[in-house]
Amino acid sequence: MDSLITAAARALAAGDPLGALKRVALRDDAPALALRGIAMAQLGDLARGKALVRSAARAFGPKEAVAHARCIVAEAEIALAARDLGWPAKTLDAARATLEAHGDRANAAHARYLEVRRLLLVGRLDEAEQRLAELDPAPFPPALSAAHELVVAGIAMRRLHTQTARDALARAGRAAREARIPALAAEVESASLLLDTPAARLIAHGAERPLRLEEVEALLASKVLVVDACRHAVREPHLVISLATRPVLFALARTLGEAWPGDVARDTLIARAFGGKSADESHRARLRVEIGRLRTLLRPLARVSATQRGFALAPRGVGEVMVLARPVEEPHAAVLAFLTDGESWSSSALALALGASQRTVQRALDALGAAGKVQSFGRGRARRWMTPPVPGFTTTLLLPAPWPGD
Amino acid sequence: MNRSAAEILREYGPFPGADDVAGVTFDGRQVWFASGDRLNAFDPESGTLQRTIDVAAHAGTAFDGRHLYQIAEDRIQKIEPATGRVISTIPAPGGGGDSGLAWAEGTLWVGQYRDRKIHQIDPETGAILRTIESSRFVTGVTWVDGELWHGTWEGGESDVRRIDPRTGKVLEQLDMPAGMGVSGLESDGGDRLYCGGEKSGKVRAVRRPGAQSRRRPEAPGD
Repeated sequence: MDSLITAAARALAAGDPLGALKRVALRDDAPALALRGIAMAQLGDLARGKALVRSAARAFGPKEAVAHARCIVAEAEIALAARDLGWPAKTLDAARATLEAHGDRANAAHARYLEVRRLLLVGRLDEAEQRLAELDPAPFPPALSAAHELVVAGIAMRRLHTQTARDALARAGRAAREARIPALAAEVESASLLLDTPAARLIAHGAERPLRLEEVEALLASKVLVVDACRHAVREPHLVISLATRPVLFALARTLGEAWPGDVARDTLIARAFGGKSADESHRARLRVEIGRLRTLLRPLARVSATQRGFALAPRGVGEVMVLARPVEEPHAAVLAFLTDGESWSSSALALALGASQRTVQRALDALGAAGKVQSFGRGRARRWMTPPVPGFTTTLLLPAPWPGD
Repeated sequence: MNRSAAEILREYGPFPGADDVAGVTFDGRQVWFASGDRLNAFDPESGTLQRTIDVAAHAGTAFDGRHLYQIAEDRIQKIEPATGRVISTIPAPGGGGDSGLAWAEGTLWVGQYRDRKIHQIDPETGAILRTIESSRFVTGVTWVDGELWHGTWEGGESDVRRIDPRTGKVLEQLDMPAGMGVSGLESDGGDRLYCGGEKSGKVRAVRRPGAQSRRRPEAPGD
C-alpha cells in the first residue's frame, strides 16, 4: 500500500479516525474509500460509512479478492451495528469463504462472528449456538476473543445459564483489556451489569422482592411451583405448562399463586380474570367453566380446590408456590410473554398464538416498541419482533483492514 | 522475458516494535527499513537490529551514499543518518500515493502504487523528469548495475521484476510464493535483493539472477 494509506491506516489503528480522514479525504481510490468508510463508521455516521465501504468493495473489484471480501465484511458489520438485519447473509458467507481460501483466518472468523451475532439478534439461538461451536477462539487476537465470549454470554443469558454467562464475561473482560479497546471493555462492563440488575420480581407469601438473573435460574431449578408471569407458564423443574395462549387461565393461576397458601374469593378472581367488571351470575358460571379448564391443565402439577369463598391452589409434588413477575408490570404482558423466549415472532403468529386480532397485537407491539421493550426488524410481511438484545452484539466496530497485504 | 520463481536466500525479523515493513534500503553495511513511525537498521550478516531513528516512515526508503530519503505521507524527507535529523523535504510526485523509492545517478525514482507508475524526479525540487508505466501496482523500486527493478503486488500476487527503463517492458520476473508480498525493494549491489515483507514484519533476501558472475560493488546505491 502507499504512503498516505499507510499513514491513515496507522492513525485509524491508533484510534484517531479524524487523523485518518484528514489524510485521505480527497482520494477516491479503493483503499482510500475503505479507510474513509471505516473512519466515518467509527465516528458514528453508519450510513455514510456503509456507502463508502460499499463503493470501496466495488472499486477493489473481484481481482483484488481479499480486499474486496474484507470490505464486504466491514459493510456487514456496519449494517449489524445499524440494526439493518435485512443485510444479505449469503454475501457475507461468500466473503468469509474467500478470506478462508486466502488464508486470512482472523477476518474469516470475524465474518463468522458477525453471522452468529446476527442470528442471536434475530432470535435464532440454536443456529447461533451451532455456528459458534465451529469456532475455537484460542488462536484469535484479543478483540476477536472478546467478541467470541460476548456471544457465548449472550446465548447463555438467553438460556438462563448465568454461571456460563458470568465465566464468559470474565474472559471477555480480560480479552478486551488485552485488546486495549475502551469501547469493547465498556461493552463487556454493561453486559456484566445486566447480570447484576434485577431481571424479575418474586412474589411469595404476600411479599415481593427483586431477583437477579442467577436467582431466577436457581428458582426455576428448585422444588417450587412457579407461576411464571414472564413467560405465562406454570412450572416445576421438569415440567412446564404454558398458558401463554390462555390469558384468562393464566390470570386465574397467577391470582391463586399470589394468594397461596390462602384462597381467593370468587369476586376477586372474576375481577382479575375478566377485567374488573362487577360479578353477576353469568360471570360466576363462566368462572366455574374456566376453573374447570385450569384444573384439567394443571392436574400434573397442582390441584385447584374449591373453598368456602372461592378457590385455592395446592401443589402436588413440591412444597411451595411462588409467582415470578417482570421487574415492572406493564400492559401487554401477554405479548411480552411470548417474546421473552428470545426468538423472533411475526405479528400474525403472535395474534394466532394469543387468539387476538392482528390489529390488537399490532397496537400492543407499537406501544411496546415505543417504550423500548420490544424491537422489530424487516419490513412488511417479513417483519419480526423480539425483546431487545442481551450482549453478544457489541456495536463496537472491529472492522477489518480492507487493503491487501499478507 | 525470463520468468522464474523467486529464490529466497534468507529471512530477517520480525523485529520487535516494527511489525509492518515498508521501504527498504542498504547503505553498504546495514539494511534500513521503514516501519511506520521509525527507520530500523540491521546487520545483514548477523541479522541483529543495530539502531533505529524515530521518524515518520510510511513508504519507500533510499540512500544516496550520504543521506537517507524516506517517504512519509505526501512528502519525501532527507535524513542525516548520524543524527536522525530531517534536513529537508520535497513533495512526493504521487501526492501520497507513493510507494517505493530508489536513488540512482543523482536522481530519485519513486513508485506510484495504484497508478502503476515509476517517476524519475529531481531530488532538490521534486520536479518530475520522466515517467515509466508498469502493468501492475508498483511497490519497491531499486537500481543495480544499470538494471531497474521493482516489486509488484496486485490481486493477491507479488513478484519482483526487471524492466526496461525506457519502455517499461518486463525483462525478467521473479514470482514470490503465494501470499508473500513485496513492499520495499533494494539491491545490495551483488546477488541479493532485499524485499520488505509488509505485515509479516520480515525482510527477505531474494537471489538476483545473473548477478553471481559480477563483482561485488565498491560503493552502494550506484
